[in-house]
This record gives sequence, structure tokens and C-alpha cells, in this order.
Amino acid sequence: MFRKIVAAVLPPIVVGALFLGLWELIVKAFDIKPFLLPAPSAIWAELIDRSDDIIDATLNTGTNALVGLLFGVVFGVAMSFVLMRFQVANELITPLAVALNAIPIIVLVPVFNNMFSSTTEVPRRLMVTLIVFFIVMVNVAKGLRQVSPTHLELMRSYAASPTSILVKTRIPNAVPYLFTALKISAPAAVITAFVAEYFGGRQNGLGYSITSNAAASRNAASWAYVIGACTLGLIFYLVSIGLEKTLSPSDGSTQARQQQSGGLTPGGVTT
Amino acid sequence: MNNSAVVNPVPSDAVVVDGVSMVFNEGQQNQVEALGSIDLVIRPGDFVSLIGPSGCGKSTLLRLIANLLDPTAGSVLVNGKSASQARVEQDYGMAFQQSGLFEWRNVQKNIELPLELKGWSKARRRERSAEMLELVKLSDFAAHMPWQLSGGMQQRVAIARALAAHPPLLLMDEPFGALDEMTREHMQAELLRICAAAETTVVFVTHSIPEAVYLSNRVVVMSPRPGRITEIIDVDLGDDRDEDSREDDEFYARITDVREALRGADRVAGARGIEDR
Repeated sequence: MFRKIVAAVLPPIVVGALFLGLWELIVKAFDIKPFLLPAPSAIWAELIDRSDDIIDATLNTGTNALVGLLFGVVFGVAMSFVLMRFQVANELITPLAVALNAIPIIVLVPVFNNMFSSTTEVPRRLMVTLIVFFIVMVNVAKGLRQVSPTHLELMRSYAASPTSILVKTRIPNAVPYLFTALKISAPAAVITAFVAEYFGGRQNGLGYSITSNAAASRNAASWAYVIGACTLGLIFYLVSIGLEKTLSPSDGSTQARQQQSGGLTPGGVTT
Repeated sequence: MNNSAVVNPVPSDAVVVDGVSMVFNEGQQNQVEALGSIDLVIRPGDFVSLIGPSGCGKSTLLRLIANLLDPTAGSVLVNGKSASQARVEQDYGMAFQQSGLFEWRNVQKNIELPLELKGWSKARRRERSAEMLELVKLSDFAAHMPWQLSGGMQQRVAIARALAAHPPLLLMDEPFGALDEMTREHMQAELLRICAAAETTVVFVTHSIPEAVYLSNRVVVMSPRPGRITEIIDVDLGDDRDEDSREDDEFYARITDVREALRGADRVAGARGIEDR
């Protein structure tokens, strides 16, 4: 067990260390100016120096991402039941959701900043909610609808009530789809919360700190905040995977079926 | 051999199909006449196979008996009740080519599903599922998830589930169609043993002539467009058929009969899609 973990973890650590070493070496050897590319040692120094502020900024951005994620999941799941129940809603809303997903709706943040007070976190959280909402809604609705025909015939042969079919067939069928949606949404939520700060508003998060330090040519400081952003994204992703591993029975067939049908990915969220 | 399908139906008959026809998309461009006028009586304890080329309506006929479809004309009686009443009262169990196990339930919970829907208590469900697991020789696999089982084992679980409520009738739609030949022959012998133990009447849809002959005491040969019964062939391999029965003269003679009946149907309709193995 221990050997397996070492075998899995050691190679990327070695490659990472080599990469950082090479980076340091090149910066020193060619005397590259800090405003072009700071050395890893300089970034590390900034990270230690500003650790309190970086943790604060990470918590602020992370809270926005988490709140938006939770609201998005709740509304997305609720809406997916509506899409399952009403074919008309499904035909109207699903193409719209897919289309919305293909455009960078993050550009709406300035509009939200005007609509809601830009001195609150509401616009950013709303943006995250919106992004997550569509991912969750489309995926979970698919899981609720794409039930194996054999399962439906069986339930009919048992004279099962619509409620029984929902509770014992459709909902369990949709659970892996929800986890897929979570795995896509969690990093998307972080990216959105982070990028939303580029469009103004309160000056307390990672996105703002990175842009403001970069604008002042404090590149090493910018990079230190980038490390905070990476950590935040990783935590969100790992937690979503951990939730899936603990709550969902490992099950090859559902995953295979899902991969065939394809999930919705956030095409519109790019930095 | 016996060409008359209806032989004086009586109320105690397991299944009475009376003048049933089935038309899909009636009155539309893509109208399909799936079944002509079908008459068929199945006695309690019968093992009846429905065999015929693709499109002959054998699966449709099975679904009409199961009340998963409603006939365009005619009537279906199961256990002396209307098909819909029989379905509501779970008078039959059903198994498909895909085992249709619920992948989020373990083996035991899969078998208990029909009992859950009937509102049985947990203790009673436990008792029955243990009994069924023993019947299909999977007692050691109660806590396994479906994807951990082989195809043949999954089908055994599906059969155990279909029989869990002790229905008098078992409806099977090519249940062994996806299995390899060795597993298939083994499963056929297992099915005979299980059905004898459970005293179940079986209606069995298949593509395979040897499978139909080995399992059945009556083989119903069907032809397509529209689906109808061309011949019913009695098989007399006895109640204690075993692996040796596959080398019996009666076995080969009836295989020839079924094949010729199918050829006759083939000449009529120019159909294909029958396995000779």
C-alpha cells in the first residue's frame, strides 16, 4: 500500500522539483529581470511574507466559489426534476442551456456589478451559481431521463407507481451524473469566482490581488497569489472526487454508459 | 404435431391468448402489423418456447401477455384474470436478454425489489431472498454488486428476482441470448431445475432451435409480417431431461421438425435471422 502511494506520488514530485530547479537556474544564469519572470525562490519568499494576506484572499474567493457552487447545485437539481417531468420544458430549456454554455457568460459580471451593489459579493456568487446551475441541471436531467428501457419495463411489470419508479429507478440512476456534474462544476466554480474579480468590485480576493500586483510589476507577489489559486482549485476538485468515492458505489457500468452519452462541460469558462 | 392452437380453454389455464392482433402506429404512414390473429393456450406447468425469425412478433406477444403492451384487438387472460389485473397482482415474473439488474443495488437487494414494491416487511424479504439465492446457488454472493458477477451469474440473479414473489408464470425474452454457448447450455439445465423446483409455467422467447427444443414441452413456431403461429410442435423429452437428452433421438427429430416448420414460414415470408446452433 505504502509502496503504491510512493510509486504514484514520487514521479510527479521529482518532475516538479526538476522543473522548479531548472526555472531557478535559467533565471539566475541568464539574469532574467524579476518583472519578466521571477525566480521560484523569490516567489516562495513572497508567499511566506504575505502568507496571512494570501490565506485571507484565498478564503474570500473560496467562499464565493463554495456559496455559488452550493446554490447552483440546489437550483440545478431542482430544475432537472422539472425538465424530467415536463417534456416541453426539456425541449425549451436544454438547447438554451447548451447554447449558453458555449458562450462566455462570465462577461455578464460587469452587468451584475451594476444590477447588484458591487460592494457586495452578490454579483460574483450569482455568476458562479449561474455557471454551476446549467452544468448540474443538464447532467442530472440526463441521468433522470436516460433510464435503461429494461429497468422501466421491469418496474412496469411490477406495477410500480410513478413515485416508486422515481425513487427506486430514476433518482439512483441520476446519482453518478450528479457526481460527474460536481467534478466539472467544482473547478469551474473556482475559476469563475476568481475571474469575476477581474471585472471590479470588492478588492479582497485572489483575482484582484493577482491583477493589482501584476499591474504594479510585483510579479513575484502575483505568482504567490497564483499558488493560492492553484491550491483552491485542487481542494475543490479533490473534495468533489472524495465525495464521489465515499457516497457512490464504485460502478463500472454506469460510468461507461455515461461516457457514451457524454456530459456537458463548461465551454464558456476560460481565463 | 398439432396445428390447432386453441384447445378448449378453461379458467385454470395459465395463459389464454384469444384472437389477439397488434398494430403499431395504426393509421399512420409507418403502420406495422406486428401480430395477425393469434390464438394460444398455455396450461399450468407448460414450458412453451416462442421461436421465429426477427420481426415475427414473438417479443411483442410476450409483452402482450405481460401487459406491457395492449393488444389492438382480442384478449389476453393470465391465471384466469385480465392481463392488466395479473400484472397489478404480480402473477408473473419477467427476465430479459439484458439481466436488467439495478447496478446501485447488491444482489440481495435486487432480488428483494419486487417484494419491496409489494410492501413486504424487511424480515420477510430477507427470508425469501435467502431462499431464492439458495435456489440459484448464489448464497455466497448476496452482498456482491452486479458488475462483480459474470454474465451467467447476473442472469441467475435476474431469474431469482423474477421468481422471488413465487409467481405462477415466468416470462423470458431471450434471457440467454448474450451468453456464450457453454454458459448457455449450463443455464438451460439450471433453468429447468429452478422452474421444476418453483413449479412455474414458462413462456420463453428464443432465436435458438436447440434451446427451444431442449427446454420446452411445446415449441410455438411463428412467421413474420404479420406475425402469426404457423405450427406448434410437441416435444416429448420427459420431465427428467438432462445433458444426455441433448443426444436423444427425440431431441434431433424435434429439432428437424422445428427447422422445417421455420423453413415453411421462411418460404412464405422470405424471412431470416434464425440461429441453427
